[in-house]
Amino acid sequence: MQTEATLAQSDVSELDLVKRCQSGDTEAFDELVTRYRTRVFGMIYNMVHSEQDAWDLAQDSFLKAWKSIGRFRGQSSFYTWIYRIVMNVTIDWLRKKKIKGGDAEFDDSIQLREIDPASKTVPKTEALPHQAMERDEIRARIEKAIGQLSPEHRAVILMKEIDDMQYHEIAEALGCSIGTVMSRLFYARKKLQSLLRDVYENV
Amino acid sequence: MKTFEEKWTAWLDDQLSGRELSEFEASLPDKAAAHVEKAEAKKLGELLKRELSAHPLKNEEFFSHQLRERIVQESGEQRRERAPRSPTSSWWTIPRLLWAGTTSLAVFLICTVFVMRQERPPEESQYLTQILNARVDPVVSPNGTVSIFEVKQDRVTVLWTEGLQTLPADYAAK
Repeated sequence: MQTEATLAQSDVSELDLVKRCQSGDTEAFDELVTRYRTRVFGMIYNMVHSEQDAWDLAQDSFLKAWKSIGRFRGQSSFYTWIYRIVMNVTIDWLRKKKIKGGDAEFDDSIQLREIDPASKTVPKTEALPHQAMERDEIRARIEKAIGQLSPEHRAVILMKEIDDMQYHEIAEALGCSIGTVMSRLFYARKKLQSLLRDVYENV
Repeated sequence: MKTFEEKWTAWLDDQLSGRELSEFEASLPDKAAAHVEKAEAKKLGELLKRELSAHPLKNEEFFSHQLRERIVQESGEQRRERAPRSPTSSWWTIPRLLWAGTTSLAVFLICTVFVMRQERPPEESQYLTQILNARVDPVVSPNGTVSIFEVKQDRVTVLWTEGLQTLPADYAAK
């Protein structure tokens, strides 16, 4: 599993940073945030499909990580550890949102409205307007399909396919068994294959 | 013992090898269809990776700045919560206790003297003496009665007269 850390950033090992954090060094924590903020935000965004919500949830996740950094024992990588917090925060949020009845995941208009035309997925220098539109539509289809999965299935497929995480890492992040991860992956793939077959066959 | 779903997932992700792989592939009823599905799963994975992996975090520095602010705020709140309460005030030192005691005693004595002076029974007024010594003339006022009600504590005297034809001259206050 790769981090976004550059070689220069990696000069200070993750474990050292964690130890400094545990003694209250906020600058060390800032360094860890800089290393992982983009990936954490990206993962949450793919789960909730809203930039504002993803921003808030990423903030909450890092804040929670700071508060509980003293309990990190270094048995797993910091990234796996923080992913567990991220997943707890995000899945809880999705469940509460669903209970409140505010789950608008299947609302086409909202899905399309939330897509940022200036997002990185559209290469501004190369794509023609019709190509950009096409990509927006593809992305909207994917987000809608993912929105039909349960939060747990979403988490599993995104961690596997986007972040290339191993089964045991996903299991650790979600607090479940490897078997459960594999089973969820099986059903998530089946569901997405049925919903997106025409997309991946024609792209 | 792995379930079919677990084996299938491991097979799709090329995690099966050796005997486990050959046994699983042998158990597939339609090997060609399974390979088609495996290829589809790979395509799905590539599609997801291509379309979803590059969602940028805009204003990264502001994100970190906001987080720092929240951490500082939270730490401040935690410190305030953990901070021991200020030790009990040492206002009641012995000299202050003595001073307070003396002052209280002085105030008590002053009040007592004042109250005792106030409560000293007033001397009977000249007016009341005249009333008490007065007589109602039965010739002038055969049915006349004079009653006196007096509450010395409140310094109140009520003179109640009935049936008087004339007011005795002695009643006039001098």
